[in-house]
Amino acid sequence: MMRRLSIAFLALVALGTVLWLVPLQAAIRPPKLEYQRLVLPNGMVVVLHQDKSTPIVHVELWYHVGSKNEKPGRTGFAHFFEHMMFKGSKNVDPEQHTSIIASVGGQANAYTNEDTTVFWQTIPAQYLPLALWMEADRMATLRIDEKPFVAEREVVKEERRMRIENPPFGLLNELITFHAFDVHPYKHPVIGSMNDLNAATIDDVRDFYNTYYVPDNATLLIAGDFETDNVVSLVNQYFARIPKSSTPVPRDIPKEPMHTKERRVNLEQPWPLPAVVVAYQAPYNGHPDSYPMFVMSKTLSDGQTSRIYRKLVYETGLALTAFGSSSFQEDPGIFYAVALVNPGKSPDEVEKALIAEFDKLKADGITDRELQRAKNQFSRDYILSRLSIKEKASQMGHAEVIQKDMATADGEFDTFLKVTTDDVKRAARQYFIPERRMVMRIMPKGGVEEVAK
Amino acid sequence: MRLKAIATLGVFSALTALVAAQAVPGLAFQQAAPGARVSNWPRESPPRPLPAHSVTFPPYEIRKLANGLQVVLVNHNEQPSVSVRLIVRAGAAQDPKDQYGLAMLTATLLDQGAGNRSAGQIADTIDFIGGMLGTGAGSDLSFVNAVVMKDSYDVALELMADVVQRPTFAQDEIERQRQQALSALKVSTDDPEAVAGQVIDRLIYGFHPYGMPGAGTTSSLAALTRADFVDFHKKYFVPNNALLAVVGDIGAAEAMAGIEKFFGGWKPGDVPAQSVTEAPQATKRVIVIDKKDAVQTEIRVGHIAIPRKHNDYEAIDQAVKILGGEGANRLQQVLRSQRQLTYGASADLDTYKLAGAVIAETDTQTSKTAEALRVIVDEFSRLQRERVYDDELAGAQDYMVGHFPLTIEVPDAIATQVLNQLFYELPVEDLPKYRERVLRVTPDEIQRVARWFIRPAQLSVVLVGNADEFVNDLKGVGFGDYERIPIENVDLLSVDFQRRAPARPE
Repeated sequence: MMRRLSIAFLALVALGTVLWLVPLQAAIRPPKLEYQRLVLPNGMVVVLHQDKSTPIVHVELWYHVGSKNEKPGRTGFAHFFEHMMFKGSKNVDPEQHTSIIASVGGQANAYTNEDTTVFWQTIPAQYLPLALWMEADRMATLRIDEKPFVAEREVVKEERRMRIENPPFGLLNELITFHAFDVHPYKHPVIGSMNDLNAATIDDVRDFYNTYYVPDNATLLIAGDFETDNVVSLVNQYFARIPKSSTPVPRDIPKEPMHTKERRVNLEQPWPLPAVVVAYQAPYNGHPDSYPMFVMSKTLSDGQTSRIYRKLVYETGLALTAFGSSSFQEDPGIFYAVALVNPGKSPDEVEKALIAEFDKLKADGITDRELQRAKNQFSRDYILSRLSIKEKASQMGHAEVIQKDMATADGEFDTFLKVTTDDVKRAARQYFIPERRMVMRIMPKGGVEEVAK
Repeated sequence: MRLKAIATLGVFSALTALVAAQAVPGLAFQQAAPGARVSNWPRESPPRPLPAHSVTFPPYEIRKLANGLQVVLVNHNEQPSVSVRLIVRAGAAQDPKDQYGLAMLTATLLDQGAGNRSAGQIADTIDFIGGMLGTGAGSDLSFVNAVVMKDSYDVALELMADVVQRPTFAQDEIERQRQQALSALKVSTDDPEAVAGQVIDRLIYGFHPYGMPGAGTTSSLAALTRADFVDFHKKYFVPNNALLAVVGDIGAAEAMAGIEKFFGGWKPGDVPAQSVTEAPQATKRVIVIDKKDAVQTEIRVGHIAIPRKHNDYEAIDQAVKILGGEGANRLQQVLRSQRQLTYGASADLDTYKLAGAVIAETDTQTSKTAEALRVIVDEFSRLQRERVYDDELAGAQDYMVGHFPLTIEVPDAIATQVLNQLFYELPVEDLPKYRERVLRVTPDEIQRVARWFIRPAQLSVVLVGNADEFVNDLKGVGFGDYERIPIENVDLLSVDFQRRAPARPE
């Protein structure tokens, strides 16, 4: 083997430090996002970010409605409705939205999550008027007919089978949230249950449209190569003619109470390996405690040095894969870790190892070095998630709609840099307590869980 | 914070995927619009586009070190990051017979100890600076990628140089990664999508290297020794068999200085020539993989096609795009928009160095398996028999040409295009001529290539699902002659896909 490094270096390695290699003392700063924010008289928020480096533009329209706005018995509705938005409007034929965008070389799509429904198109810059015109057309005049509604339901059911029911571990997220929440609609899967999809009626669809697809519930993000004066006049031309809704958008979402007792859930699924989940109640996205918890999620599970990977995958070989997720959302959620148990290893051991990592955070917090690493990783995430105009629009949409403060798009970076090891220990002690814990084990074999029939 | 703080370590990124709906183009069936919310909304034609800006392929440089290492440089300083990617011209196709998984496991082991650093020290170095390091192998290539902030460029190069040139292959790391690979294999042999993909490749390419399991088998993984990894690495990981791209916020001079420093001393070697095996002729063969608890059937339909350097690549690629690509897509129209049989359907042209395949894929609920299969096969026939419509081809080409500026937005995408041309030994000067290349293809040409290369009567078919619920329907759609195998018995190395010996105990 080649030895090209000096003796001095070897000595340092032997001491277990590679710190001298690292030029980075503080996280490198991502460039600031420049944007303009306007509000139309009808309540629609418009955020503009100019970037002329490539002659393309990204248009993204966020409706502040997601699966958490659904009523019991009508789960999956926000996502189903997202599909309906491609069924044509007064000036656009059914199913033509995407092919019109494709015909100019653009891409269009949409996604739904717990808090929002987002429609986007990335197009050559000269077609900006086309994208705005089509989005306005379907906000104002969507066609809602029985036949395409019934047909599209079959497509959504196939989507559920494909994403959730057929792949191994496809039901994992659904099982976690179903058992982790009592009353908050985060309990229900975004895609909904088959029964609820079948029960939906055309009146539900029209009602949903009139309630949530209104300008005062929408945020329009435009990023890319445009002239500001021109884009403002286009937005006015196409969107200002849509009237404000006559009634306020309902926000009556049930609150999840603080749990008072540890819950233990044992299930069976026809999966190739057992899964173990340890979950704790967590604050909402942007809550002061969410920042130290984000830092903990980095320490627990970002990279091969992270504690969970190191302990469960690398050192003990207990798990095939293990990861933590701080799924911070608009409302309080959960902070969880998942491990897939390797053949021959016991779920007991895996459970103990996962809980031990949380207990260790409570007892000792994290080291200064771990804190610095987490900050450097945040910096990287910030920078790498702003390479494209699509990613930039997404960051801005999140700041405006979920955090309700555009300034957080950049400002949060400083909030992260201010997190201390004491903050981490304090948050760990506050949140990682047994009363707010769920331990779930999903063993191979057995039938399909009756959670979402 | 928008970023989901999720690190999926290993193979399960899908576990954490958001539910994202894919909107698709479809047929325009005319219907009267019911009362819309805004009643006085005008009837309008789409607005005219603004004046177009010119689109040019962004600047890049290609250099070569004295040791033969080809280098691609793309300077892009919008964000303060640098991405370094190294490709070695050897992948799973170079796995010797009975050593399936060798290229994959060699790649996995590269960053598990190299130079004077242990696996833990490598991970600590890259993680602490907020960087990322990844290694892996595909059919024709292996890769090592790193992303770092611009002030850590030298750290990335130093690490990569060790990982690429001086991996340790320590015995305990080998055992650790072997166990992980075996566990991953156990999961994937139960995953209908993964199984469908492996079986269709074996069916189409036969025992050609592209047909063999690149992730290995339980017995091949168990048999690999340290000497095998050392040998594979020594043979193929030489600078004259590699490409390096440095992309991001760094000038050419600084980028090259680092490359000379860390990769200039890498010794070239004689790379063994690949023994070319002929891929088999297409034959009509139907494999039904029985998975009792499946609620859907994974469907794959395809046959052998062309390698990347084929003269008719452009026309064949567009023919397959009309069948199942983005923009104009017959399969998606018929299967999703017209019949609601699936959430998504597509057809892809795989073109590797030595061979290629056209493969259509979809999934549908179990009871609709035969119907969906018939529809797909009919679309192969239609493409072969009928001339494509002028406006249909124009639609596909409009998409491709119009889409070009979207493919040169981020620096890695630019580098990928340059690397692809170099990797497949295609003229790099062609990159700015994309538009001309696409528009040169005519409906006549599509018909000419479709006539000889599309073979509806010789399609390989793989169906993975609950067989009892659909096999009786297969005869009615012309596929009554099938081979049925329980999923737990699938053996990719056996001619009939049937495991002979009982499965080894775990």
